[in-house]
Amino acid sequence: MLSLAIIGRLFTAVVLLMAVWLAFRPDLARGRGGKVFAFAILFLLPILATWGGGTEQMETSKQTRFCLSCHVMTDFGRSLYYDDPGYLPAAHYQNRRIPRDQACYACHSGYTYFGGVKSKWRGLRHVYVQYFGNVPRPNEIRLYSPFPNATCLHCHEGARTFEEKSAHHRDAELLNRVRSGTQSCMSSGCHDIIHEVAGINEGTFWKETP
Amino acid sequence: MMPAERFESRTRISGILIAAGLLVQSATHFWVHPLAFLTFLIIGAPLVAIGVFTFLYSLLMERN
Repeated sequence: MLSLAIIGRLFTAVVLLMAVWLAFRPDLARGRGGKVFAFAILFLLPILATWGGGTEQMETSKQTRFCLSCHVMTDFGRSLYYDDPGYLPAAHYQNRRIPRDQACYACHSGYTYFGGVKSKWRGLRHVYVQYFGNVPRPNEIRLYSPFPNATCLHCHEGARTFEEKSAHHRDAELLNRVRSGTQSCMSSGCHDIIHEVAGINEGTFWKETP
Repeated sequence: MMPAERFESRTRISGILIAAGLLVQSATHFWVHPLAFLTFLIIGAPLVAIGVFTFLYSLLMERN
């Protein structure tokens, strides 16, 4: 069965051909009927095709391979394959706690109304640095702001394994502090082993990065 | 230039711009990379937008 993406591409190709046709035969736009025809080909359909194309681009930009297409991200991609459940992103990726094809996006975009837009805006800055700035080494890359607990709680809040985990009840107020954001999930002694790309060459891996 | 010829000339330009924009947009779908996203955003979509506005302008001018 044809996927939506294929249908969208076919639609764009048809609109493209019709626009070319009208460019070579502008006399077809004469008269009332011709103008309605031209209005469809040179206004309605191109806008629809561009809107569909833009939506596909936005979806593509959520893909893990999109984020890893820049060389500087390669080690972060490899870190998803650490053969050690202590590594937070690796454990999430390997156990399918996040969709593998949208692994970066699942954790590094805010689950707010404009979360995706903010991610794209940051992405534009990354492209600028990639081509016009000083590209940092992978182990020098830092988040712009501390990782928000809300991103973790988006999935884990209410989950039995989260609520009943003994470590989460080490003190009575721990979960309240996590929920209010006064204590990070990634605090020292908690989930504090993240991508750890500095030692990636000494690591052992579940699989080689595809 | 007669008004009808001017309208046809603008329609032709509009068709070419829209076709070029859609061609660029189509090409970006075969490349998963941030530069493809930017090419869509900075070249493909504006070409279509300029083509659409050229056509609307030609309709308005012909009416006047």
